[in-house]
Amino acid sequence: MSDEIKLVMAYIRPDKLSDVKQGLAEVGAPSLTVTNVSGRGSQPAKTGQWRGEEYSVDLHQKVKIECVVADIPADEVAEAICAAAKTDEKGDGKVFVLPVDEAYQIRTGKTGPEAV
Amino acid sequence: MSVALPLQAGIEAISSGVNYVWILVVCFLIFFMQTGFALLEAGQVRAKNVGNVLMKNMTDWVVGVLVFFIFGAAFSAMIGQLTTPGLAFDPAGAFGYITDPGAAGWIDWFFGAVFAMTAATIVSGAVAERMNFTAYVFVAVAMTAVIYPAMPGIAWGGTGLLSSNGFIGDALGVGYFDFAGATVVHMCGGLAGLVGAKMVGARAGRFDSNGDSQAIPGHSMLLAVLGTLFLAFGWYGFNVGTQATVLTAEGEFMGAALGRVVLNTTLGMGAGGVAAMVVSAAWQGKPDPLWTANGLLAGLVAVTGAVPHVTWWGGILLGLIAGALVLPTFRWVVDSLKIDDVCGVFVVHGSSGAIGTILIPVFAAPGVLSAGVGTHLAMQVIGVAVIGIWTVLASIVVFGIADALFGLRVSDAEEEEGLDSSEHGISAYPEFVGDSGAGSRSSGAVSADGGRVETDGGVATDGGDNE
Repeated sequence: MSDEIKLVMAYIRPDKLSDVKQGLAEVGAPSLTVTNVSGRGSQPAKTGQWRGEEYSVDLHQKVKIECVVADIPADEVAEAICAAAKTDEKGDGKVFVLPVDEAYQIRTGKTGPEAV
Repeated sequence: MSVALPLQAGIEAISSGVNYVWILVVCFLIFFMQTGFALLEAGQVRAKNVGNVLMKNMTDWVVGVLVFFIFGAAFSAMIGQLTTPGLAFDPAGAFGYITDPGAAGWIDWFFGAVFAMTAATIVSGAVAERMNFTAYVFVAVAMTAVIYPAMPGIAWGGTGLLSSNGFIGDALGVGYFDFAGATVVHMCGGLAGLVGAKMVGARAGRFDSNGDSQAIPGHSMLLAVLGTLFLAFGWYGFNVGTQATVLTAEGEFMGAALGRVVLNTTLGMGAGGVAAMVVSAAWQGKPDPLWTANGLLAGLVAVTGAVPHVTWWGGILLGLIAGALVLPTFRWVVDSLKIDDVCGVFVVHGSSGAIGTILIPVFAAPGVLSAGVGTHLAMQVIGVAVIGIWTVLASIVVFGIADALFGLRVSDAEEEEGLDSSEHGISAYPEFVGDSGAGSRSSGAVSADGGRVETDGGVATDGGDNE
């Protein structure tokens, strides 16, 4: 459909992962890479306890999703992630869309949008 | 007790067989406490020091059993001889378990050894994450050769300073109550750990520039709690097994004694855990699993000396007192004494053992006391003081010698890097290791990490960009 390849990169709540996977599958972009990450944003810091001593946890556990698309419009993918990951509380996360210069499929040797 | 098996299979032979099979089984259970200590301590340290704390726990056992066989058990017997009026000093007799064990001498030695190694392994939890490994090995040797063995020497076996036949016991007319070693084993280990933690110094970052404590959370609550439960499992061997006679030579089944011991062990453990859970919820707002685990163990320690001597409600009260004191006592050690006792061994093993043992006469079951409560209380306080003073002084000397010989601490850089890497060259949780680069070092190919590659002539190329 288009020659452009985009990387949709999202940071979401870990417990929203299965909803987001469902949402991505529904827009036809089921392939993704998932990483456990920690990050800081608008979500307020939590207080941890260890042996009666409090400590601040301002890096929250998040899941990073990377989804490279060519045929499916990146904005549809990003909106699907937003819809699935939303709770209206601070800490829902962010989605970024980045251009991708080139793609190679390792098994077949295909390049460009075909490789995605 | 040495046992000569008669040729005819009478009740004496049967009772010896039953009792020594029981003793062997409980020894294996007590050995399993090493597993509990290893997991408990590993869970309470950061991931970069897990291998080191496991090494220290294994060292306590593997070095300790050799030391306790060659010397420790004999030293214990010699201390008993020296502190009992009317007993001659007999080094050859003290080493008799090696030269002339009889039918049961080696089983009796093993029964003593598993207790010795329990005392030794407590220390590692207090000095975790910053103590030099070589210095620790030296301390473990001293712990199993001298510091601990003196304690059963003065308190157990009917001879020694604190027994009713010893100098102090003889003067007061009563013996010291510490059934399975709340003070002889646990307080000894806990105080040696406290002295060690003080002398080694706090971990980097434990106290800020104002001297206020900063939390250093351990890496696995799962390991800490599982270790606690494994320890509690082994503790049944420790306490109930100390009721070593199941069937007397006259054929009497000692069920009532075994029952009181197992009941008070269980009730003390439960009460300790409940009290710590409640206190932690009141103090921190939510019930805390680590405090609960510590309280469970503190309850066990508190009743360890008392289990055959106190009523069932006495067992519960001892557990409640010890469990409730865990959190405030630990805070006192950290906030007032400024000692970085990583795993809380002083409160769990030290103060809990002292309190539980001193209070035995207060909660005594009918027929246990042979004199007035006051006389027994005085004996208990003196006994705790003697064991406490010996342990603290001996530990100061031993850690001092270790400091002079090897240095107690690793360097700041090694501490920062983690003792797994700096002391042992390993990682407890390695990731992304495999065949990458392994074959390239000799073949001269580009290494996967882009690092230095040597060609056949041994000349390093720059950045792995070879030939």
